Amino acid sequence: MRKRHNVEADVAIIGGGTAGLNSAMAAAEAGCSVLVVDKANIVRSGAIAGGIDHFFAYMDTGEPWDTREAYLGWAGRVARGAADLEVQEAVYCDELKAALERVERIGVSLRQPDGKVFRTAALGQPGPYAINFDGKLLKPKMAMEVKRRKCKVVNRVQVTKLYLHDGHFAGLTGFNIRNGDFYRIRAKAIVIATGNTNRMFNAQVGNPFNLWYCPANTGDLHRAAFDAGVALANMEYVRMTIVPKGFSAPGFNAFFGMGAQLVNSLGEPFVQNYHEMGNKAPRNWVVWGALQELKAGRGPIYMDCRHLKAKELEHLFFTLGIDKDTLPEFFRARGYAKDGAMIEMTVSEPMQARPSELCGSGIRIDKTCASNVPGIFAAGDASDQMGCLHMATAGGFAAGKHAAAYAKKRVSLLPLDSKAAEEEEDRVFRPLGRKAGISYREFETIVRAVCTDHFGPVKTEVSLKAALDKLGRLDAARGDLRADNMHELMRTHEAMNIHAVSKISATAALERRESRFIPYHYRADYPQTDDANYCGLVVIQEQPDGGITTRLDKLRYAA
Amino acid sequence: MPAVIDAKKCNGCKLCDLYCPLDVIHMEGKLAVVRYPEECWHCGACRQECARGAISFTFPWAMLAA
Ligand SMILES: Cc1cc2nc3c(=O)[nH]c(=O)nc-3n(C[C@H](O)[C@H](O)[C@H](O)COP(=O)(O)OP(=O)(O)OC[C@H]3O[C@@H](n4cnc5c(N)ncnc54)[C@H](O)[C@@H]3O)c2cc1C
Repeated sequence: MRKRHNVEADVAIIGGGTAGLNSAMAAAEAGCSVLVVDKANIVRSGAIAGGIDHFFAYMDTGEPWDTREAYLGWAGRVARGAADLEVQEAVYCDELKAALERVERIGVSLRQPDGKVFRTAALGQPGPYAINFDGKLLKPKMAMEVKRRKCKVVNRVQVTKLYLHDGHFAGLTGFNIRNGDFYRIRAKAIVIATGNTNRMFNAQVGNPFNLWYCPANTGDLHRAAFDAGVALANMEYVRMTIVPKGFSAPGFNAFFGMGAQLVNSLGEPFVQNYHEMGNKAPRNWVVWGALQELKAGRGPIYMDCRHLKAKELEHLFFTLGIDKDTLPEFFRARGYAKDGAMIEMTVSEPMQARPSELCGSGIRIDKTCASNVPGIFAAGDASDQMGCLHMATAGGFAAGKHAAAYAKKRVSLLPLDSKAAEEEEDRVFRPLGRKAGISYREFETIVRAVCTDHFGPVKTEVSLKAALDKLGRLDAARGDLRADNMHELMRTHEAMNIHAVSKISATAALERRESRFIPYHYRADYPQTDDANYCGLVVIQEQPDGGITTRLDKLRYAA
Repeated sequence: MPAVIDAKKCNGCKLCDLYCPLDVIHMEGKLAVVRYPEECWHCGACRQECARGAISFTFPWAMLAA
């Protein structure tokens, strides 16, 4: 028998990943009662469940590249048109020092065993910003800290809907993915920190869960927030990286940071042909180069590590195993030896996510991490301005602080519309009652086929309209989705969210009649970057009348 | 099969079930079972949590031979 729970808090955090746990710490520190809701268990949920190895930071060591100004200069160069530097200053720069201290205080050293800070450069950085560290236990330690600060945690609850009252945030509902308990949660403010959207495009060996990013992040709250009138930005970008052939795992930054290079099947290093910084270029350019080489028939491509010294190789392979726990044995199983390694690589699946390490893709936030709906804040990969560990940690905390400040100004909780919650409860469990129908697997496969065919990643006006037409026709199948147990019910809702986000992404992509961060937004019909008209954010929003509008928020940068 | 649980070593502590971020591992009686192997992300969280060393990883042919 399913139970019903009513829970209240000053601040609710949806998604207890990297960003959400930092938000929780901040809101608790500000004296608020805090509730963290996650569809997994916060000890090991989300992107860094298995570990993480790089933290981007400037450290004011006296080097010209090691300053706030130089960092912002980098952001302005490599994330032009997507990073709002005023927001970056507030959510990252102003919070960075405290963020680094916090990571170490909760028990994760940012130093090497010899006590030194070791930093490497890649991704177009003007200097080595990436602190290499052993973050295997960062997630469990953050979860412990959140519990130590007396935040309430509700694990295994998938949030499906947000509720407003007179235009202000009032509450949310979700269900327990194991026993079906239904949660009605009222809070004065909310921080959405549910990551990006995965499983939207075909994956390299066919399995949609063999992904670079966490397959449990399926844009659930992008969709729910969008339905509640929250504006989203940077949604047109599809992000990809370079991964080992056969295993979509991270490693890009570790490989290139340590000086490995990509070569084609002729043995030629090729990235220089596409960007002057070669293997140290921003990620999108390396991906673009790899795609061109593969298309030209000069594949397979390899990560050439043969020139690295024994000590460098030792560090590199150790680091790779921190970021992806199972990668070392995958390499062994494929027969790669550490020394003399030439590892076959490929381009990963695309995903809905930020076009650069220096911004996000999702809920449009201002300098206080606030969305356009009062009471709704966002952080981490789910926001349009944060991405990666450095921003999820620093900016997550900023979001928690601002949400707490907002909550403190509200006298009481707002009512949660009972009728709407009952309707949502019916909607959520309906697939369980169907005797026949389509499975989430089949439904998702169709969504992935359409997205991959029409904007994965290259797109044109015609392809995007074709995608929207096909994805629109699939609306009718949503009512046929059938789940045979609670696990399938969770996946069924994920599948519907992936479908909804894919439509938002294609709609936003139609509006950007230029190319930017190629291949992440490569319009074959507008292949050039057009700064005069498109240097800014495509903001997409559902209006109260149900219509969907887009606008361009222009961004300015120093020359 | 991605995560593989050695039934002889598993002591039924439930941690892998509790912490799998993808809801892939479920207890069946006193044993942890990889119920949705095709949905494993290979993150290794279960193995790191397993005090008995009961979890290892094998990679499907598609990953090894592609
Ligand atoms: C394997 C890997 C290695 C990486 N390595 C690095 C690195 O070395 N350096 C770096 O800077 N960046 C790295 N990144 C990126 C970085 O980890 C992420 O950008 C960052 O952790 C994102 O934090 P987040 O809180 O936004 O998302 P996550 O940490 O993924 O958290 C999202 C949370 O939301 C929960 N959730 C989702 N939907 C719902 C719902 N409907 N209801 C309730 N809860 C929900 C999920 O369970 C999850 O816990 C890496 C990413 C991956 C995947």
